[in-house]
Amino acid sequence: MTQKSSFLTKLGQIVAVLLVTALFVSLGLWQLQRAADLKESLKVATAVDTNVVPLESITSPRQAIPPSALNRTVSITGKYIANFKAANQKDGNGVIQDWESALLQVGDRSAILVVRGLWSERLLNPDIAQSMDIQIEGLLVASQDGDRARNLPGEISRLDSAVVVSLTDLDLFDGYVVATSEATRTESLERTRIVPEKLQSRIPGFYWQHLSYVVIWWLMAAVVVFLPFYRRRVST
Amino acid sequence: MSGALKRFRVMAIIAGVMSLLLWFVDLPVAYLLNNDDWKSMVAWIPFVHGWIYAVYVLTALQFATKARWSLKKTVWLILAGTLPIASFAAERRVVRQYS
Repeated sequence: MTQKSSFLTKLGQIVAVLLVTALFVSLGLWQLQRAADLKESLKVATAVDTNVVPLESITSPRQAIPPSALNRTVSITGKYIANFKAANQKDGNGVIQDWESALLQVGDRSAILVVRGLWSERLLNPDIAQSMDIQIEGLLVASQDGDRARNLPGEISRLDSAVVVSLTDLDLFDGYVVATSEATRTESLERTRIVPEKLQSRIPGFYWQHLSYVVIWWLMAAVVVFLPFYRRRVST
Repeated sequence: MSGALKRFRVMAIIAGVMSLLLWFVDLPVAYLLNNDDWKSMVAWIPFVHGWIYAVYVLTALQFATKARWSLKKTVWLILAGTLPIASFAAERRVVRQYS
């Protein structure tokens, strides 16, 4: 091997080592960023803002809920236009029950899913007509992303506007509202309300898990740097 | 050399078991079943597998360096730790050749 080609081989090896090291260091930095994002999102996700704001002031139909609107207490006025059974739903106390959800028409062109209460109490307010205006307060939460049951007539598999989009021409809001109170012009509607599920981050994984992956990636980067020296030591 | 071989064999078997758990327990529970309780019960598997695999890579590199393997052969040995059964096969092959 000539001196020139030996130099080029060495140069190639050094570049390869540097590239792989840079890759591993970047992967470590990426995991570090995910750990920081998770910590930040946990702060936001576990804080419930109890100030009541109108739904339309923080989100719009046909758009993903902005992160700042999640877990806000909202007020809405509208008419119930359809009722659905949402089966096998787990509440904040871990109790699995069937819930009554309804599509609430808001204004002329939009609608949102509302969890009214337990399915077993759906006949408690027989006086509510579909043309009646209802004022609701409740917690705006993100759509569910896993099915709890099957989609059947009058029954939805999960609380997600995507599941009912084919049933209406109205523009749907993303997410759903867990009602804490309902009232008509003349009376408040009393029934058992659902305790919302414990709020948690939507970024997968745990904080310590991401930090642990940072250590692994940077350890691998150190190994790649050390390996050529180790090979030389073994061969001599 | 015999120390490096022993360390590699131990880690190949442990990494193989962890790969089996990852592919046939954790991944089906995480992506095919819809049960949060089961998901939280198997959440430790990918985490432990990540650490076991890192140690497996270290032992594979030490063994391959001492055995003066080529880069290509070394890379195959490292990748064997990612698939179930493959690390068992690699361990058997290494034992046949060096014991």
